[in-house]
Amino acid sequence: MSAPPLEIQLRGLTRRFREGTREHLVLDGIDLDIARGETVALRGRSGSGKSTLLNLVGGIDAPDAGTVNVAGVEVTALTERERTLFRRERIGFVYQAFNLVPTLSVADNVRLVLELNKVSARSASARIQELLDAVGLADRAASYPDVLSGGEQQRVAIARALCHKPAVLLADEPTGNLDDSTADSVLALLDRLVRDSGHTMLVATHSQHVAAQCDRVLELHNGKLQPAA
Amino acid sequence: MIPVTYRASFSYLLRHPWQLVLSLLGIVIGVAVIVAVDLANSSARKAFLLSMDAITGEATHQVVGGPNGVSEDVYRSLRTEAGLTRIAPVIDGAATSDGLSLQLLGIDLFAEQSVRSFTGDAQDISSLFVSFLVEPGAVTASEQTAQELGLEIGDRFELFSSGRQHTATLVATFAADDSLDRVLVADVATAQEWLDLVGWLSRIDVRIEDGDTATLERFERALGPGTQLLSASGRTRSTAEMSQAFMTNLTAMSLLALLVGLFLIFNSVNFSVLQRRGLIGVLRALGLTRRQLLTMVLVEAAAVGLVAAIAGVLFGAVLGEQLLELVSRTINDLYFRVNVTEVSVSAFSVAKGIVAGVGAALLAAAVPAIEATSYEPRLALTRSVLERRTRHVLPIVTATGIAGMVAAIALILVSGTSLVAGLSAVFLLILGFALCVPLFVRAVSTLIAPLAGKLGGTSARMAVAGIASGLSRTGIAIVALAVALSATIGISVMVDSFRGSVNAWLQQTLQADIYTGTIREGSMEPELIAAIRAIDGVVDMSTRKRATVEDASGRTQLRVFELPPQSYDGAELIDAEPAPAWQAWESEDAVFVSEPYAYQHAVGAGDVITLPTDRGPRQFDVAATFQSYDINAKGIMMSRATYARHFDDDTIDSLGIYLAAGVDVDAVIREVERLSKDTQSLYINSNAGLRKESMRIFDRTFVITDVLYWLTLGVAFIGILSAMLALQLERARETATLRALGMTPGQVGGMITAQTGVIGLLSGIAAIPLGIVMAYVLIKVINRRAFGWQIDMTVAPDILAVSVIFAIGAAMLAGLYPAWRAGRSQPAIAMREE
Amino acid sequence: MRLTFTLFALLAVAVVYADKASEPPSQLAELLSADAEGYAKAIEPREFVFPDDHGPHPDFRNEWWYVTGNLDDKDGRRFGFELTIFRFALAPTKPESESLWRTNQVYIAHLAVTDADEERFFVAQRYARGALGLAGAQARPFRVWADDWFIAEEPGGAWRLVADDGDFAVDVTLRAQKPPVLNGADGLSQKSSQPGNASYYYSITRLQTEGRIRVYGREHEVSGMSWLDREWSTSALADDQVGWDWFALQLADGSDLMFYGLRLTDGTQDPHSGGTFIGADGAATHLDQEDVEVTVLDTWDSPEGGTYPSRWAVTVPRFGLDVTVTPVIANQELFTTVRYWEGAVDVEGSRHGERISGRGYVELTGYAQ
Repeated sequence: MSAPPLEIQLRGLTRRFREGTREHLVLDGIDLDIARGETVALRGRSGSGKSTLLNLVGGIDAPDAGTVNVAGVEVTALTERERTLFRRERIGFVYQAFNLVPTLSVADNVRLVLELNKVSARSASARIQELLDAVGLADRAASYPDVLSGGEQQRVAIARALCHKPAVLLADEPTGNLDDSTADSVLALLDRLVRDSGHTMLVATHSQHVAAQCDRVLELHNGKLQPAA
Repeated sequence: MIPVTYRASFSYLLRHPWQLVLSLLGIVIGVAVIVAVDLANSSARKAFLLSMDAITGEATHQVVGGPNGVSEDVYRSLRTEAGLTRIAPVIDGAATSDGLSLQLLGIDLFAEQSVRSFTGDAQDISSLFVSFLVEPGAVTASEQTAQELGLEIGDRFELFSSGRQHTATLVATFAADDSLDRVLVADVATAQEWLDLVGWLSRIDVRIEDGDTATLERFERALGPGTQLLSASGRTRSTAEMSQAFMTNLTAMSLLALLVGLFLIFNSVNFSVLQRRGLIGVLRALGLTRRQLLTMVLVEAAAVGLVAAIAGVLFGAVLGEQLLELVSRTINDLYFRVNVTEVSVSAFSVAKGIVAGVGAALLAAAVPAIEATSYEPRLALTRSVLERRTRHVLPIVTATGIAGMVAAIALILVSGTSLVAGLSAVFLLILGFALCVPLFVRAVSTLIAPLAGKLGGTSARMAVAGIASGLSRTGIAIVALAVALSATIGISVMVDSFRGSVNAWLQQTLQADIYTGTIREGSMEPELIAAIRAIDGVVDMSTRKRATVEDASGRTQLRVFELPPQSYDGAELIDAEPAPAWQAWESEDAVFVSEPYAYQHAVGAGDVITLPTDRGPRQFDVAATFQSYDINAKGIMMSRATYARHFDDDTIDSLGIYLAAGVDVDAVIREVERLSKDTQSLYINSNAGLRKESMRIFDRTFVITDVLYWLTLGVAFIGILSAMLALQLERARETATLRALGMTPGQVGGMITAQTGVIGLLSGIAAIPLGIVMAYVLIKVINRRAFGWQIDMTVAPDILAVSVIFAIGAAMLAGLYPAWRAGRSQPAIAMREE
Repeated sequence: MRLTFTLFALLAVAVVYADKASEPPSQLAELLSADAEGYAKAIEPREFVFPDDHGPHPDFRNEWWYVTGNLDDKDGRRFGFELTIFRFALAPTKPESESLWRTNQVYIAHLAVTDADEERFFVAQRYARGALGLAGAQARPFRVWADDWFIAEEPGGAWRLVADDGDFAVDVTLRAQKPPVLNGADGLSQKSSQPGNASYYYSITRLQTEGRIRVYGREHEVSGMSWLDREWSTSALADDQVGWDWFALQLADGSDLMFYGLRLTDGTQDPHSGGTFIGADGAATHLDQEDVEVTVLDTWDSPEGGTYPSRWAVTVPRFGLDVTVTPVIANQELFTTVRYWEGAVDVEGSRHGERISGRGYVELTGYAQ
């Protein structure tokens, strides 16, 4: 059996932050290969660079050195506008703080992404229905985010992140703002949906529990990546 | 040492400099406009009062007479027969030299000492004394005036008065402050010759000690029926009051700018407080009391207000100088001569500006500060809770607004003719309406959001929905813009209606083909009138004499006409049948009163009024009220025959010339020019030319209005800019999420621009009803109360369309920078952990 | 700021430098000594015609009507009064003008009342242009006036003199007891050796006076004797002349003495000084400088500065007159256009060895700056 194709390939990825006169090396020549459909957990202390790594993979940030290749696209070679379009099509984000658009209903939050991807209104509606069903919020389609609980909001966020069938799902502490039982159910949902649709997922987390769900767990320490103990 | 808490709070402002700058700017402009208008008004008024004071000197009373003034025989008899020697003759008239308007004052040096006090140094003046008396044309002026005219002592120069040229000699200068700028002083004899007043004095200045009733009685006994002794300060006051309505209106407009500025300040301060609710929560948690927090916020607001108010006062002084020219020009056009060369910055004006600025900032900060400090000391209130609160208070706010508008209407109905009450009602109306705007905005934007979604997709829906959901931010900006716009609509409609009415009135009033007359003052040479009458093609002439009569109740302008019957159509008689009214006007002691006069004195056809005449007070029937927009003619129209029965004056100051059909107007104008060239310089204008000239002066009068409302719009523009920037800051995370989800900077910016465009649209739409109501109130209440005019209101659709388009354009322009900023924002922010 | 024209201040100084002791009094002199070109001059004796010569002589630069008098009320309260109306021409001819205000003539009037019992001296003045009827003079009927002050002929030939300044007033009727006396050489009174530096000068030395004087708001019925001096000229003091002392004495025997002494800068008396002695019958005799001897017996220091002579011995040997002249009160100084002393005096002494008394007026100029 041939190895599944690589979805994410990082080479020599380096990112520094300047803080006053001091330079802080957050990522120090990271190399990482993630296969299609693989789920990888990224652990590390606060400020160890987990979010930075996700931002680089998602094309939100650009590295000081090294390359990012996602789904065969050399992200680091793209212009800002190309990266935006790449992100729009190939990346799904789930945040700790949910980050739903407060002025849009649940359905519209999802629709926004589909619309950006020029999905026709008809198939968009079908897809929204399908996803809201999948996250168990079909009855809250017309609700606005501010009336939803945290868990519900994160489910909407997951639906929004997956609606356009991205190549890679990037999740940054997806359960960080949730209580344990809610976190469990959201995590279960995320895991199921990702595995069902064969998405590649890179999740930054503190949670042992989250990490345990993943195929592989890596530890980010002093800018270097190493398999978790 | 600034306490750490204050530093924590203030560093927020420093880290958001644009917000600081914009809130400063709002106060600066608001204060500047108030201070500028106040300075311009008070400088003009002060200059007038000072020059009146300087010219009146120690005179406590003045003897005034009929249209020509006081006969010099009255003066002689007061002195030599009644033995009233503390009196001085004054001749007061206008002259020009080198294009400069001058006041020409004729005095008798021998009499001066009895009414004016002198100081100064003795030099050799015997020769000066001689020349002043025996050398025709000798004048003196203040050093500044001489300098302005480019004259040295001994220089001869040309002077125009009563349409003729005279040669004057500057025989001396005197040191004086600017209250005597542009005043030439000559001997009575010289002034009489130049101003065509031989035999007459403009008035006699009198000095009577307080409580000296014996002397008052001696005057009463000595003065004949055509003359009266009036209090000098009363006369000055009544002259100054002529322009009061105009100045009150200007002040009201400046307050409007501050009101709009207040919204803006409120917006900025409110926002900066809300932004810090997290910080406030932390500080509360750390143990700061509510009072301490409230004090902190208010101290900060006061500091910001003070800095801005000081800048506003400085800017206001500069702006005031510009306005002063407009104000004094209008006063000169409409009311009385005033020479203002510089703004006199009074402590009172400055204090008003400072108080307004600091007060506005405190007021604007108080509401959010009280709200913020009322939070439980737990961490940040979420935005949605805040918006929910806003939604909760909305009905209360709206109800208050409706109550305000109802109160405004009630105030108008019960306040009679009070101008100040009328203007207060306008402000109440604006405030009331302003309070209703947020509900309107929410209703409309909620209503059209789905529609926008259908038309423009989710991002369009987001743009529109964002307005309603961000009402706590956008609401105030929309209100500010709507108020500014409604003011421009109201004022534009008012001016436009006024203009239309005046134009129609001029068209009707100006019946003759050619108008000619003396410029500003003086009467036409009888020979010249005869020569004009003899011009080929002239079939008829109307004559006019402008005369002022005065008694203790003030001055009344008489317009004395000799009219050919065909020009009767020129006067629109409002409350009487034309035929009998004209009959009475021509042949009985009956007059027509102008609308402003009728309004002010509450008289009309059928009433009787008393006027001072050369034969003493006489009663006249009011035969009709006629329509008039002539600001100075709170006046009376009298026939020449009636005038001749009551006044010893046969002078004429202007003519209306009627031509036979087919006669070339320009040829006759040229002939009149030729005839008058060597005798008297006259204005000569065709019917159309005079109308045009009148409209030009009309438009000039409203230049200051334009300036003020552009400033108001400027303030509103800054309001939108500031609100949108604030909103973008607030929504940084949301914007970042959208960017992370794959929206391009262009899409994000476009969305924000669309949002501001809709804000402009909503403001524009909201402004229309208030603008029209305001126009109505301005026309039917304010103008009527201020000037007594009746104006037909016409609403030109293009004014409304232009306003809405302007609103959209301005709002989108204000949205450009926030849009650009939002587009540039780093999506990475959204990824940060909270 | 009031109308503080320096100009007016200057004029006020020139025309009326009242209350300004520190101001130099030279302006009027300058005014008078300014170019005399174009004016008529007193060079030759002329024929005086009355009443025409009571009227003005506008071709001459200056002229005055000078009435002084000593009066008593019914209770014996003693009063002196002076009403002088000066006329000055500012230019030789009247400028052309439609305006009646235009003129070259200026009138200044001084009114003074001496209240001997209360030792009070009242002064007021008027000044007006000689135009529009504000001030002027005419011969037929005779009238000279400034504002509401006037001396005018009444029906019946008597003159009425009225001047009221509110605080005090004089309203009297004057009846000439003697015909006009021509002073100097038939009325030509030479003031220096320079031709033209002379005046035409006549006096009516006895005018029976009846009427009222008001001081402190109270009218006093008064009667007594007044004196009229009339002089017109285009002359002024010569450079070496500093002032003059003028005596007008009415003696109890019906005779009158007028004498003026012109003082020179060196302290001596100018030989052009002179006078007239008028007998009870009205016969006038011209007196030269050497005919009259005046010796100062006492002086008075003005509180405003300057020292005036205040008592004199006057002798006229030709007429056997030897009298002492004493002011009724010391302070009779006028702070008017020109600062001078003019006051009522008593005369005591002898004539031809017989005791004689009298009253009169003395004018002293050039003593105070």
